[in-house]
Amino acid sequence: MAEAKVINPDLDFVKEIINSGGESLKKCFQCSTCTVVCNVTPEDRPFPRKEMIYAQWGLKDKLLNNPDIWLCHNCDDCTKYCPRGAKPGDVLAVMRKKSIEENAVPGFMGKIVTEPKMTLAALAIPFILFLAVLGLTGHLGIPDGDIVYSKFFPIRYIEVIFISAVILAGISYLSSLSRFWNNISKGSSQPYSKGFFPALIETLVEFLKHSRFGKCEANAGRKNGHLLVFYAFAGLAITTIWITIYYYLPEPYKKHSPISLADPMKWLANISALALLAGTLLIVFNRLKNKGYEYRNSSFDWTFAGMILLLGVTGALTEIIRLMGVSSIAYPMYFVHLLFVFYVIAYFPYSKLAHMGYRTLAIAYSKMANRDIAV
Amino acid sequence: MAAEKTKGILVVGGGISGITTAVEAAEVGYEVTLIEKNPYLGGRVAQLNKYFPKLCPPNCGLEINYRRIKSNPRVKIYTSAEVEKVSGAEGDFDVTVKLNPRYVNENCTACRACVDVCPIERPNDFNFGMDKTKAIYLPHDFAFPMRYVIDDKVCKKAECAKCVDACKYNAIDLNMKTQSLSLKAGSIVWATGWKPYDAKKIDNLGFGKYQNVITNMMMERLASQNGPTKGNIIRPSDGKEVSRVAFVQCAGSRDENHLPYCSYICCLASMKQATYVREQYPQAQIFIFYIDVRSPGTRYEKFYKKIQQDENIKFIKGKVAKIEEDPATKDIIVTAEDTQTLQKIHEKVDLVVLAAGMAPSTQESKIPSSVSYDTDGFITSNTGVAGMSAAGCAVKPIDVYSSAQTAAAAALKSIQSLVRR
Repeated sequence: MAEAKVINPDLDFVKEIINSGGESLKKCFQCSTCTVVCNVTPEDRPFPRKEMIYAQWGLKDKLLNNPDIWLCHNCDDCTKYCPRGAKPGDVLAVMRKKSIEENAVPGFMGKIVTEPKMTLAALAIPFILFLAVLGLTGHLGIPDGDIVYSKFFPIRYIEVIFISAVILAGISYLSSLSRFWNNISKGSSQPYSKGFFPALIETLVEFLKHSRFGKCEANAGRKNGHLLVFYAFAGLAITTIWITIYYYLPEPYKKHSPISLADPMKWLANISALALLAGTLLIVFNRLKNKGYEYRNSSFDWTFAGMILLLGVTGALTEIIRLMGVSSIAYPMYFVHLLFVFYVIAYFPYSKLAHMGYRTLAIAYSKMANRDIAV
Repeated sequence: MAAEKTKGILVVGGGISGITTAVEAAEVGYEVTLIEKNPYLGGRVAQLNKYFPKLCPPNCGLEINYRRIKSNPRVKIYTSAEVEKVSGAEGDFDVTVKLNPRYVNENCTACRACVDVCPIERPNDFNFGMDKTKAIYLPHDFAFPMRYVIDDKVCKKAECAKCVDACKYNAIDLNMKTQSLSLKAGSIVWATGWKPYDAKKIDNLGFGKYQNVITNMMMERLASQNGPTKGNIIRPSDGKEVSRVAFVQCAGSRDENHLPYCSYICCLASMKQATYVREQYPQAQIFIFYIDVRSPGTRYEKFYKKIQQDENIKFIKGKVAKIEEDPATKDIIVTAEDTQTLQKIHEKVDLVVLAAGMAPSTQESKIPSSVSYDTDGFITSNTGVAGMSAAGCAVKPIDVYSSAQTAAAAALKSIQSLVRR
C-alpha cells in the first residue's frame, strides 16, 4: 500500500504572509496563467503557481528551501494577467521578505529590520551610539571655522564604528547566505551541469547588464530605476574605498577632507549620488504610477525605498550646505546623514538590500541545476 | 373569465428561450407577441452544429417550435424589431416597438433570383464574417421566416434596384421605412440572450491577430453543413485540413479582467467540438487545456468520461496564457504549464479554438425598462419589476436544456401575472 503523505500546514506562517501584504494569496485557483506569462521563469517546475499553493497550504519549508522566489524580479506580468486578482507578484515579494527574515543570523535582527514598525528603533541605535561617542570625546558642539566634517566627527571614530559594523554585518550576512544555500541545495539530487564559480560569474555579468530585468513587460519601468541605484551603490562603494586609500597614503600623497571637487574620486562620488537620487525617485514614481492593473507594494518595500531616498537627500544636502558655508545646519545634517549610512551598511543583511546576495545565489543555483532561462 | 381583461404577453427575444416562452404560454391559451431584433428566429441555437451531449442537430428542435408557432394563431411575430420604450405597470404595459425595414415582403418565395443580380457583398455576420453574402440575402438555410432581407447599410437602393427588376413576385420594396408599433401587454418576458465575448480583448490569446485562432462559435459554423465551408473543418489561413487542434478553455471566462463568472457551457462545447474534428479526421490529435473541467450533472459527466476514453484527445490541466504564430507556416504555438507534471509545454497546432464565454446581451445595451441587473450585467431572476420576468441566458449563462426550463417558468410567471388580479 502506498504510504500516506502527511502535510503539516503552518497556519501562522500563512497569516504572517497575509499580514505582510500578501492578503490576495487565498484568491489563487491554480490556473497557472502566471507561470505562462512570466518571462523569467524556467521551463521545468516554473514559478509562481507552485509557490502560491505552497503559501496557501502553509508549507513554510518548501518556500524557504525554494530558490525560485528569488528568480522572480517582480515584473508583475503575472499580477496583470491573473484572472483572480491573487497578485502573485505581491505575494512573492512578501515571501522574499520572509526568506530574509527566516535566514537572518542573528534571528532577532531579522525581526527588527524586516518589521517596518521597528524602523525608528533601528535608527535609534546609531543615534544613541553616535551621541555617546561624540559626547564622551567632547565633540558635541558645532566646530568653528571652515566646515570640515572630520573636525566634528573625527575620521578615526567613523572608521572604528563603521568598519566594525561592516565586519559584524558581513559575518552575519555570510552566515545567513550559507544557511540559505544549504536550504536550497540540500534537496538537490541531480548532478550539477556546471560549477559554482562559472555560474556565479555568468550571474554577475547578467547583473551588470540587467538583462534578466529587461524581460519584464507589465512593470518594465522598474528596470531603469534599479539599474541606476545598482550602479550608484557600486560607485559609492568604490568611492568609500578610494577615499580610505587617500587618508592612508603616505605624505605628501595623503589627501585631507574635504577632497577638492576637481578630484576624480569626488567626480565619481557626486555622479553616484545623483544616480542614487534619480534611480530612487524613478522607483518611487514608477510605484505610484497607474499601470492599468492593481498591485500593492508591501510596507517592507516602501521602508527601504524611503531609507535610500533619505540617504541620498541627506547626503546631497550635507555636501551642498557645506559648500554654502552654513555650519549651523551643515554639521547636524552630516549627523543625520550618518544615521542613514549606518542603517544601510549595518542592517543590509536584514533589509531589502540583502536581496543582492540571495538573488545572486538563487540565479547561480538555477544555472548549476540546469533551470536557467535564456536572457 | 380572467382572460378577457388581460392584454396578453410580450416576449422580447426570439431565441430558444423566447420561442419556448411564447409557445408554452400560447398553448395554454394566452395571446403572445414575440419580438426579435434579427430578421430571423432561432438566435444562437440556429448557429449551432450539434447539441451536447446527444450530438443531434438543433434545427430539429427549432423546426418543431416553428411548426408550433405556425399552427397557433395566438402567437404574433415581429422580426427585425426592437423594443424602444416601456411604460405602465403590471397588467397594463404600453410598449413602443421599432420595426426596422426588411425591404422584402411576404410575397418572397426565396427563389434567389435577387441574389444572382445583386452586385454588392457584405461580410456574413451569421458566420462571424468567415464568408460573404450579397446585400440581399437569406439569413441562413433554415431561416424563419423563410424570406430574404436587405442590409441597408450596404445596399444602394434606387441607384441600383437590379433586384426589384429580377423579382417576379413583386416582393422587394426599396421604399420601406422604419415603422413604430404601439402595443399593450399585461406582462413581459425578457429573453434577450447572450453574445460571444469579444475574444480580441484577451490580448495574450492572439484572436484577431492570428488567422488560425478562432472562437468556439466560429467552430460551430465551420462544422455546420450550412456554414461557410459546407461543414469542412479547415484552417482559415490556407484552407488546409487540420491534424492538431488545441482547445483553450476559459478564454475570457472566470477571469476578472474579462468575464468574472464561469460561462457554464464551454467545457461541454469544446468536448463536443473535439468529436467534430475526430469524426472528420480520424488521425487528428486534440488538446484540451483547462483549469478544471466542469461537466455538471450525470449526463454531462458521462459525456466527459466518454470523451476521456478517446486516446487522441488529451486533457491538460493548465490554462493557455500565451499564443504565438509561426509566421512562415501560420501554425500556432500554445503555451501552458501542465500543472500535473510541473512542466511548461509548447504545443504546435494547426488550429486553436478559444472557448470564449457568454456575455449577456444586456451588458452593453440595457433594455428600456428599470429592470435590475447583477454585477455581471445579467438581468436578475425576479427582474425587480412586477409583471416582468426574464428567461434563458439573459439571466445567467446556461445550456439550451436549462434555457427551455427557465422559459417554461417565465411563461408560467407571466400567466400568473395576468390572472392574479
